[in-house]
Amino acid sequence: MSTVEPTSPVVQESSQTSVAPSHGHAVSTAGRLSTFLSTYVFSKDHKVIGLQFLFSTLLWFLVGGLLALAVRWQVAWPWSDVPVLGKLFAQQGGQMAPEFYTMLFTMHATVMIFLVIIPILAGAFGNFLIPLMIGADDMAFPTLNMLSYWFMWPAFFAFGASFFVEGGAASSGWTSYPTLATNVNSSPGSGWGQTLWLVGLTFVGVSSMLGSVNYMTTIILMRAPGMTMFRLPMTIWAMFITAVLQAFALPVLTAAGFMQLADRTIGTGFFSPEGNIVNNAMAGAGGGQPLLWQHLFWFYSHPAVYIMILPAMGMVSDILTTFARKPLFGYRPMVYSVAGIAGLGFIVWGHHMFMSGMNPALGVTFMVSTMMIALPSAVKTFNWLGTIWGGRIQLTTSMLFALSFVSMFIIGGLSGIFMAATPVDIFIHDTYFIVAHFHYVLFAGTAMGVWAAIYFWFPKMFGRTMNEFWGKVHFFLTFVFLNGTFFTMHILGAVGFPRRLADAYHYETFHHLQPLNAFMTYCAIGMVATQIIFAVNFFWSMFYGPVAGRNPWNANTLEWTAPSPPGHGNFDYQPVVYRGPYEYSVPGIEGDHLMQTDPPNRAAAAAAAAAH
Amino acid sequence: MKRFAAVFWSLLFLSVPVLGVATFIVGPAYDIWLPRDVSEHGAAVDGLFYFILALTGVVFIATEMVLFWFIWKYDESKSNGPGRYVHGSHTLEVVWTIIPAAVLLFLAIYQMNTWADVKMRRPNMTPTVEVVGRQFEWRLRYPGRDGMLGTPDDLHLVNDLHLPIDEDILIQLKSMDVLHSFFLPNVRIKQDAVPGMKIPVWFKAREEGVFDIVCAELCGWGHYKMKGRVTFEPREAFDRWLEQKYAEQEATQPSVSDVALASGALPQTNQFANNEP
Amino acid sequence: MNAFAAQAGTKTPSGDLICRETRGQLVPSLFPVWMLGVVAVVLLLVTTTGCGKTAAASYRLNMVESAKQRLKPEQEQQVATILAALFGTPDDPSAPSECGLDAAKLQLAAGPVRSDIVGRKNGLYREHCAHCHGVSGDGMGPTAAFLNPYPRDYRPGVFKFKSTERADKPTHADLVMVLRNGLAGSSMPSFALLSDAKIDALSEYVKYLSIRGEVELALMRAFFELDDEDQGRLPEDREFLIEEIVLPVAEAWQAAEDALIDVPEMEADIDMAASIAKGKELFYGNKANCVKCHGVTGLGDGQVNDYDDWNKVVLQAHKTVQGGLEQADEASTWDMDADEAVEHRAELAWLDRFQKVLDGNALPPRTIRPRNLRQGIYRGGMRPLDLYYRIHAGINGAPMPAAKGTVPPEDIWHIVNYIRSLPYDFNGTLGVDKPMVARDRL
Repeated sequence: MSTVEPTSPVVQESSQTSVAPSHGHAVSTAGRLSTFLSTYVFSKDHKVIGLQFLFSTLLWFLVGGLLALAVRWQVAWPWSDVPVLGKLFAQQGGQMAPEFYTMLFTMHATVMIFLVIIPILAGAFGNFLIPLMIGADDMAFPTLNMLSYWFMWPAFFAFGASFFVEGGAASSGWTSYPTLATNVNSSPGSGWGQTLWLVGLTFVGVSSMLGSVNYMTTIILMRAPGMTMFRLPMTIWAMFITAVLQAFALPVLTAAGFMQLADRTIGTGFFSPEGNIVNNAMAGAGGGQPLLWQHLFWFYSHPAVYIMILPAMGMVSDILTTFARKPLFGYRPMVYSVAGIAGLGFIVWGHHMFMSGMNPALGVTFMVSTMMIALPSAVKTFNWLGTIWGGRIQLTTSMLFALSFVSMFIIGGLSGIFMAATPVDIFIHDTYFIVAHFHYVLFAGTAMGVWAAIYFWFPKMFGRTMNEFWGKVHFFLTFVFLNGTFFTMHILGAVGFPRRLADAYHYETFHHLQPLNAFMTYCAIGMVATQIIFAVNFFWSMFYGPVAGRNPWNANTLEWTAPSPPGHGNFDYQPVVYRGPYEYSVPGIEGDHLMQTDPPNRAAAAAAAAAH
Repeated sequence: MKRFAAVFWSLLFLSVPVLGVATFIVGPAYDIWLPRDVSEHGAAVDGLFYFILALTGVVFIATEMVLFWFIWKYDESKSNGPGRYVHGSHTLEVVWTIIPAAVLLFLAIYQMNTWADVKMRRPNMTPTVEVVGRQFEWRLRYPGRDGMLGTPDDLHLVNDLHLPIDEDILIQLKSMDVLHSFFLPNVRIKQDAVPGMKIPVWFKAREEGVFDIVCAELCGWGHYKMKGRVTFEPREAFDRWLEQKYAEQEATQPSVSDVALASGALPQTNQFANNEP
Repeated sequence: MNAFAAQAGTKTPSGDLICRETRGQLVPSLFPVWMLGVVAVVLLLVTTTGCGKTAAASYRLNMVESAKQRLKPEQEQQVATILAALFGTPDDPSAPSECGLDAAKLQLAAGPVRSDIVGRKNGLYREHCAHCHGVSGDGMGPTAAFLNPYPRDYRPGVFKFKSTERADKPTHADLVMVLRNGLAGSSMPSFALLSDAKIDALSEYVKYLSIRGEVELALMRAFFELDDEDQGRLPEDREFLIEEIVLPVAEAWQAAEDALIDVPEMEADIDMAASIAKGKELFYGNKANCVKCHGVTGLGDGQVNDYDDWNKVVLQAHKTVQGGLEQADEASTWDMDADEAVEHRAELAWLDRFQKVLDGNALPPRTIRPRNLRQGIYRGGMRPLDLYYRIHAGINGAPMPAAKGTVPPEDIWHIVNYIRSLPYDFNGTLGVDKPMVARDRL
């Protein structure tokens, strides 16, 4: 058993996130204001920035969830009076207009992908955890870090404002394919809404690129003494490789975004064929190809989906080991798998385009690479199972979410194999089978991983633990409802039920599927309602939860040696690392784990003492 | 109490494979499953689907059961000793890398032929019909008696596609404005219609029937109502239908039924004859 | 582990629901009570505010006409009341028997879409038509602003594509044909996949909305004819309403059935090349004068600044408001006496109201382009018969004039044949066996 004993306290241990300037000085109001701004608003402390990301993304999670409920309402009961939103269509008796539906699912996906999942993984957890877990006092570029958060705000404004412009928000799908997205006459949301969407996308991209540079530099250069690359916790490996993915993939999307913006505003024709007439209005210049956008978009967006899962995988690895009291099974294979997923992730983008009209021979090559990318994910799953095998499992809320990540990721990963098989994709492309697959990996996978991480690192962030009972209620209800909502989508997709249809029941093939969709909508409503419990738990516990010490979970990585929450500079003194992460249930020692900072003679001495 | 909680949670994880398998059994019982297939290549596509289902089904059940079993068995309230201090097993890593890799590679190669049949081996023939997607309808153009598209004897129709059975069909797929996707669920055919491109689609239907044409790529607010009907019928009936439609297209006098309908009399039989009132 | 927890002052990870430790003492935890309270409040808010049902759909008054006729609010109210009494509501339509409308068909088409009942049997209009054509049939549904051309406004009772003379109403068959085939090249889709009974019901409902719209216009215009003793209220007795207002409208619809254009036979063994040559002569000639609008190349670029009747009304209204505002600007209130000043202010108020109506209750006017005859896409249908109708009667509501009277009926067939050859006209040489190059370029 080890306890971190501060030998020379450098910073105050406080129960709030950062240290206020020294008391007792007569500070002017302006000075106080600017200090407040620089401490809490434009802070360069990675922990404050991480929390800023966390709060912003959780708020947008709510927005995205409500948009999803509106989508589900229309799918279950098409053309019926929509609650709340029906007021916008009072003339029609509350019945939604079809272009409104296209806007709903477009913005649901956009918000969830660009304003929730990517920022919460990289921005919130990446920022908060990276310096703490590698033993640094802050990021390599604190100002850049602050900018990466504040570059999100123009994106918030752009996406938020797009709902209120003429024509409404973007409505060409989050994939924004030309010529629907490029021709302003093709759809109501293809006017100002789409332009603002592209602006928002650019800012999100810049924010991510700034962040990724910071993370890569910090992890490579600022590790504590003794923290070799192969002693890094999986969270850090995942964050590192995610940052590499972002750095290499994002520029392509940003460039494509500028090209589309140019097509829409200054009359270029990158993506419009010659003489293209939509809704009786001519496009601008021609000579372009709609497929070009698809290639550029998916070249980023496929690595993006790995950006959206790798950090969660890393965090889940850390949480599973902590609560199974066992080292990670196959640390190096796990690291190589993460790298393999990322590397292969750059050569599979064409699997989104099997039906797009691209040369079918490319379909063969992309199919092979897509099949192979299932392999490292499978290896990781087996290693997680190996991690909990023979453990001493503590079923805390965090552990339950982490275990459900594994369970749900198995489903999401296996369903991907159907799509990789190109002949099967002929049938299931653009059906609910695809929707089921990505909701399993993104929601049942990553979001569960995010909740696991929130429950796990909450004590480090706020100095208090969240309530376990209500956490488990939250877990149980979320788990049940999400499976009710999304598992049935697999068989819905097997019927061929298409995506993005405001009303599918007037087709003979899909006529009988309304009751199932109604059931799924009830589950979705339950799922969103359950998050109220989480929100209350989160905010209550921040102020009134039981005080946590430095290491409430008895985990062994570096962040748990710092105070909860850590002050500026993070650690009481420069940590020195002597061993790898996950040293749990080490035989021959007192207590059941060794911290990374525990010097070797202590373990040896304990072992020697035990031997005699 | 703690043991009860552990049992409860492990049973929750057990419900995943149980209910998962149940869904795939109950669904087909309620006709929520692959729709009827009337094409020649459809059997290969469906066969592949079932093969992958079986494979992933086995892996799904096995891994989820293992997960359940480990939670049940290794929960802290049950075991007294510490966790096993094991960092991995080289043998296991090799085994569970090689075997999935081999399976996946086999799967990849196994399906290449079907893909080539459907998408790469185009039959050498003139198009049976040209299908042009437009917001929000399927505009059809048959070549007419001279067998050439783009001549005055072409037959122009909307949404009502007729095709002969037991013959190779070649469709020339185009789009007038934005991306659409020509999806025939009952023929296991899907192909995006790209503005600026002419894309061939081919298949052979084995059975008669009337089926849906669905647009499967977001094309605007009317994407949901871009519904067509494909009717597969014997060659003679198809030819007769073409003749009848061509005569209608060349009409220089109002038809008898149109004159009768002018006053709101009962309409003639709808050729789509669905069972709605 | 417990020793460590005690040292750090925390609880074991499982936490405690009932009590918590504060400064070394066990106190009851208020958390569960707090939690339930918040959840209850949230649910209460949600159910009382958000989940309330939206009011039933209602008809919107023809605000442009009302503003044009300078109707006062109580007059508008009277019009609405009369219309409700005569024609019911969108959920429960009715019509005076003099209109000759089938009530069962109206019921089938009307009402909200009951999406929770699979195979439901009403709500057709709301499901298929309302989001473009509007619940009131005013062509201003939510989607309408984004369509080019705008969806039809039924209220003036003017329909473009029919088999009757220009000023006549369409027959039932015409409405059914438009529903079945759609209007090629516009956003009006083909509804051929609906059953005959449904198409029938929808056609009837369109007629109903049109009759209702015309009655509304007539009522609004009738205020102008009132004497002072009527005190600005229309008489509400049945005799006045039915005889003076409804019957003229209904009879026009009933007369349409017998007003089909008499189409002469085209010779079975006609010499197509000669006919096309003759048609070309007429096309470029002075009698038909087609090139004036359709252009010398037939691309529809001869005249691009004209408007159809529906857009003309709005355009005119804009001009009226513009002119009125300019005039009002020039008038100087210094020289006005009390009465003139009151009138002036009333005029300004009316102009202001009219402007607001145009901003909120009318679509921005769009020009109408003559048809590009090289594409082979004809709104009203591509049969020779359809083209004959268009040329003979022109297109009601559009600037396309009737050739009746200027071009003999048999000669119209020559023009029809020429037009049908235009998409296949390659390099200026006539060739019915040459492929359509322009059309096939994409």
